[in-house]
Formats: sequence, C-alpha cells, structure tokens
Amino acid sequence: MIRSFGPLVVLALLVTMVGAVSPAVLAPQSLAAFITDASPLLLLVLASVLPILLGGIDLSVAAMATAATMGVALLAPHLGSWALPATLLIAAAIGCLQGWVIAVFQVPSFAISLGTLGMLSGFSMYLTSATPVPIDADLPLLPLLGETVRGIPNAVFVVLAVWILLIAAMRYLKLGRQVHSIGLQERAAVLSGVSAVRVRVVVYGLSAACAAMAGILYVSQTMFSSPTFADQMLLPAIVGVVLGGTAISGGVGGFVMSMVGGLTAAFLRIASVVLGLPPTSQDIVYGLVVLVAVGFTLDRAKLGLVK
Amino acid sequence: MTAAVYEVQGLTKRFGPVTALDNVSIVLGKSEVVGLIGQNGSGKSSLMKTMAGVQMPDDGQLVLRGRPLRLRSTSDAARMGIGLVHQEQSLIPNLTVAENIFLDKPCDYFRHGVYRWKPLMQAAKMQLAKIELDIRPDTLVEKLTFAQRQMVELAKVLSLEETVEDDLVVMFDEPTSMLSTPEIDDLFMQIRRIRHRASVVFISHRMEEVLELSDRVYVLSDGKQMAERRKAQIDCDELYELMVGRQRSTEPRRRFSRQGIASRPTLELAGLQVGASVGPVDLEVGQGEIVGLIGVQGSGSEALCRALFGLEDIRDGEVRVAGEKFAKPSPESAIARGIGYLPAERKKEGMVAGASIVDNMTLTFGFEYAVAGLVANRAREHREASRWAKRLKVKAASLEEKIERLSGGNQQKAVLGKWLLGSRLRLLVLDHPTRGLDPGARGDLFQTMRELAAEGLSILFVADTLDEVIQLSDKIVVMRDGKVSAVFGDVDNHPPAEEDIVKAMV
Repeated sequence: MIRSFGPLVVLALLVTMVGAVSPAVLAPQSLAAFITDASPLLLLVLASVLPILLGGIDLSVAAMATAATMGVALLAPHLGSWALPATLLIAAAIGCLQGWVIAVFQVPSFAISLGTLGMLSGFSMYLTSATPVPIDADLPLLPLLGETVRGIPNAVFVVLAVWILLIAAMRYLKLGRQVHSIGLQERAAVLSGVSAVRVRVVVYGLSAACAAMAGILYVSQTMFSSPTFADQMLLPAIVGVVLGGTAISGGVGGFVMSMVGGLTAAFLRIASVVLGLPPTSQDIVYGLVVLVAVGFTLDRAKLGLVK
Repeated sequence: MTAAVYEVQGLTKRFGPVTALDNVSIVLGKSEVVGLIGQNGSGKSSLMKTMAGVQMPDDGQLVLRGRPLRLRSTSDAARMGIGLVHQEQSLIPNLTVAENIFLDKPCDYFRHGVYRWKPLMQAAKMQLAKIELDIRPDTLVEKLTFAQRQMVELAKVLSLEETVEDDLVVMFDEPTSMLSTPEIDDLFMQIRRIRHRASVVFISHRMEEVLELSDRVYVLSDGKQMAERRKAQIDCDELYELMVGRQRSTEPRRRFSRQGIASRPTLELAGLQVGASVGPVDLEVGQGEIVGLIGVQGSGSEALCRALFGLEDIRDGEVRVAGEKFAKPSPESAIARGIGYLPAERKKEGMVAGASIVDNMTLTFGFEYAVAGLVANRAREHREASRWAKRLKVKAASLEEKIERLSGGNQQKAVLGKWLLGSRLRLLVLDHPTRGLDPGARGDLFQTMRELAAEGLSILFVADTLDEVIQLSDKIVVMRDGKVSAVFGDVDNHPPAEEDIVKAMV
C-alpha cells in the first residue's frame, strides 16, 4: 500500500502545503518554469531507477549528465546537430562497459560507479579547464528542446516520451521481467536462463543514455556546458527514486511511480524556499528525506546482514 | 556395558509437521564408542544435535551421570563436558587456531576484550600436542586443509577436559565424508586414543566405518530407534533391513507404458568427472524414461545433476543430448538444448520470491508466446500458465498472487510449471523434487511425472527416499562416494529389494 499510493500522497501533501503558503507557486507560468527546471532531474531519476531495480546502484548518473553537457559543447562545432545523438551513443557505450565490468568481475556496482563518477567529472573538468563552455555552433536541434509549445516546454515532451518508453519496455519486453527477477532473486533468475551479464550491460547502457539526455536538456536551457552540474544532482536523483517507492534492495518498484517521486524531489526545492529555509540547507532536507524514504521502502527480509 | 554416562530417554523432536525424532532412547557407557546408523533423514544428526545442545527437545530428557540435564545452548553442553565435532565445520576461518580452540570457553586469555596472546598460544599448543597435531597455534584456520581443520575441531572439544572434572562426551557427525583414506585412518586412531577419557558417539554414512569403530550400534529409521546391536551380534544384512524400516513401500508399483522410444538416448554421460570427488560416471536416460538417482548425502548424485546445468565444474568426460555433444553447460545453453532443472534449494534457486506465480512460470519460456518473439503477449502467457497450473493442481486464489504465499508443494508445482511451459523441453532434471512436500503434493507430482514421461519427456531425478525411487523409476542408479555403485534396470519387471539398494548406498 505504501508503495502504490505513498508517493502520490507525499506529492499531494507537499503541493497542498506549498500552495497554501504561497498560491503563486501554482500559477501556470511558475509551473511551466518549474517543470522546465525539473526536467533534467526527472530524467536522472529515471536513469537511476533501472540499476536500483537490479539490486545495484549507479552513482555516476549525474556525472554522466555533466559529461554530456561537455560532450555536446565539444562535439557541436564538428558535428552540428549530430552532436546530440553522438553524445547519447558515447554515453550508452560507457554505460554498457560499466555494466559489463560490474557483471563479469563481480564488483559491487556502487564501487564501480563511484570510480566512473570520479573519472567522468574529472574528464569534464579537465577537458573544459573547469569553465562553462558556450555552445555557439549552428545547432538547430538544441534550442528547439528549450522552447515551448502553447506554454508547455518541449523538455516535458522529451521526459514524457522517455518515461512512457521505459514503462512499455519494462512491461512488454523480456528485459523488464528479467530486470525484476534479477533484482528479486538473482540465483533463481540465472537458473531460469536469464543472462545476468547481458541484462546488466543493457541496463547500465540505458541508464547512461537517460543520464546523458538529462545533460542535453540542461544545455538546451543554458546553452553552456556545466562542469559542476553533477555536484547538485546526485542526491536529489536518489531522493526521487526512493520517493517513487523503489526499494534500494532491488526488484521492487518501477517507473510509473518514479515520475511522481522525481516530481516530489524537484518540488522539495521549491517547498524549502517557500517555507523560508535558506537555499544552503537544501541538502540537509534531501538527506533527511532519503533516510526516511529508504526506511519505508526497504525490503529488510532480503538483507542477510546489515553492512 | 559399564555404568551409563549419558542417557537419552524418550526424546522427541518436531520441526513443524515433520517428526525428526520419535521417542528415541539411547545409552552411552563409560569409554564406549557408539555408532548411529540410518539413511538420510533418519534422525541421526538431529539426535546428535539435541544431545549437544544445538537444539532443544520437544519431549523426553537427557540424563548425564545420573542427573537430568537441560541444555539451552552448545556452551551449556561445553560446561558439562559434551562436545560435537561438526559435519559442517564450525571454525571461524579468519581467526587463528588458538583463538578458535578457546572461543567458546570462559578463560583468562581474552577477558574484557583484551587478548593475552602469549598464554593463549601456550595453552593452544598444549591442546594440539594432546592429539599430536603438528601445526602452529597462530596459523589462520583458513590456511589449513580440511582434515587439519577437523583435527582442530577435535582439539577444541578435547580442551574441555581441563574445565570439566569428569570424562567427556565427544560426538562426531559424519567426520569422514570429506577425508581421504589415510586421513580417515588418522582420525580413527585419535578416536581410539581418546576413548580412555571420553565416551564417543559416531555417525558415518559408510557402514563399514561404523562397524569398525563402534562397540555398539543403534539403527535409526524415520526418526525411530529400530534396534540396538553389540559388535559381536551384528549381521550386516539384518542392519540393511532395519535401515529400510517403515520406508518399505506399501502400495504396489503402478505399471505404465512408454511410447515413441527414439533411437538415441536423450542424455548420455560418458566418463563424466564432476569436481574432484564425483565420477567417472556413465549414464543413459532414454526418451520417455524416468531414471532415479539415489545415494546418501554427498554421494554425488546432486553434483551430477547440477553439472548438467553448468553449476558444477566438469573436469572430464562427455555429455551428449539427443546424440549431440554438449560441451560447456550453462543454464542458458542447457535451456537452449531443452533441459530444465528443478533445484533442491527451492527458495534460493528455484523460485523468484516477491514475483507473482505467473511471472515465475513465464520467466523462462514466456516469450515463446510473444508477438514476433519480442513483445509480450500477456493474455496468452497467462492462458498457458493457468493451463499448466490447473494440470499440476496448483492451489492458488489467483496466479497474480506472490509465489512465496503458496505452500511448499504448490511453490514446487509452479516452479515445475515454469519448465513445462517450454514446447521444446526434452529432459527434466529434478534435484530432490519432493523435499518438504506434503503427501498430497507428492502424489500430484508423481502423477504428473509419470504422465509427462508417457508423453515422451525424459526425467532424471534425485530421490529422497527408497520408496520414491522404487515407485517412480524405470531405472534406478545408486551412487556411493561419487561413483555409480549399482544400476537396477527394468524396474517394471524386476523391482529390486530395498535392502539391495541400501547395500549399494552405504
């Protein structure tokens, strides 16, 4: 019950509370601005869900988004609009490699992805000398992402499309069932013919591509690459996943509610401002929320011992 | 027999609906070696564990040197001078030998969490010297061989001598199953040495070992004490008969015909060597044939089955499936060749707990019913799954229920259903399929296995009991110490006697 309606209840309560204090926040224009601002985070939440469903975690999603902003900035002068698909492909390839290393060498995913996080943010810093790089090439596709249609930002359509595709894939493709079975009981899944290696490669590839898309949405709003984008995004992304009812113990949860969790995580930022908390205290809020939400969603029966 | 040192009176131990020990009484005399004989699940280990304080009895009592005794834990038992040398070794691998020896004892060497290494090592050295074990007390246990660890376990038990005034009671639970012949000789020498200051209870699945070592033996069957024999009165054939006990099959074996016998057997094993201790094994399973494997724990029948699914290391030999060579088995490649495997560890390996019954059943072959093999057709999958669920008599309110909410028998049926959903399934490998099943579910399972075989499916299964293997198999293959020790073909016309099977097992 907590898992099916909990995320919605939390979001509704939060919105009602903020709306009561400051109705202006819920005006159409401010909502459009909110959703545009939140769209990279929403994609990062979706990117984080897949590895967590497998029973692992990918700490490198936010760093991957950062690297993607840099990728677009560096590739655009050479490739034009093709810089966007090229960035997505490179990201997916890095993600697949990461999944392969995790599966074949049996290293915990948090350790591998922590290394990836370091390398990706390091590269982003190094290649751009830690300064935002402006995107000044002729790149018709990118500004299009930043525009609005009848007041609805195009970024929303991107997020919706990715969301719906992922929901459909989980429901109708072999992958979905295999991801859940590995997350719930890997040995039984493998003994039923599921290839743990193949599934991990695909999952981490997809996750990285989603993360890169988040970076692209971010650049479309700023037209600058951002070497520090990741610094503020990793925690909110994981907050979004757990607020969406996905258990970090794996197997349980899914994409439908993750969107709700992502919206809640994004709205928390507005809420803390409206409630008069200083912006510097935001991570304290996220930290607290993550503890409480994990406590509610964790499947303790699956943890043999507490580490 | 001299005065009784340790007595067990009317002991009963139940686990849920299963009675592991049923009113068992045994007596252990001073300086006596007593052997326990029985098949798997006859209650030997349970009896020993209860005597050592690992578990508490539901009924009956323990009497030590004439005084009733209540053991709440193994350390209670240790205080009274009762120690168990475990079948699954109980040492902590990343600690030193010395620490392990004194771990469970109140002693001065690590009082208040502070180690006093020197006296600890000194004391351990003395304990090791008692059984002439030539290893340094500061060695980490993980660096020792299996046999050395067993000896350290013995030293750990014998070190009770210093804290207990009376003679010890030392129990050995299958100590020889992992040892080589010289190592076994060494262990036996130690057991004979300690008997002047200890009474010994000994379990082995090798009958000749028990007979060699023991002054007296008790035979257990189905949790009941069947007989007590002195060494001089022992008649091996009679012991085999007693071990069969109540398990003698009461219902007559039903005949069933086989059809469509293919020219090539479904499965052929030639000189198969699995790991270090199993093989070489030659075995054939024909189309529509049910082959039953039986052996005591560790005989290798489980390992053989697991090897076919790539879960054990195949060192040598050949596997052929329907005549074609099957080089490197893995779950995926085995499934591609039409082999299904029902693991003995249902909860860990058989079913995905947390997923629904239908998701479990369609996990492997669900996409045979998908649109273009790609997009799941949930309605069709569901229909197929419920067709098999009905045939297997899975009792569930709905197939959307989580599988872990079913009873063990129904879980097992659902896991079996997962394989039957595959249209190209040729061979089912069932590892202890009836373990933990109630009689009703067992009957359903047997019925289905017979029907499937009649339809041409080949079945290789590891049996839990004699009754089961005789009831169900077309061919019975008995394993002992990793090798095939007897084959009884044509069970239909010449059913073997239970005693003959037991003889080949122990």
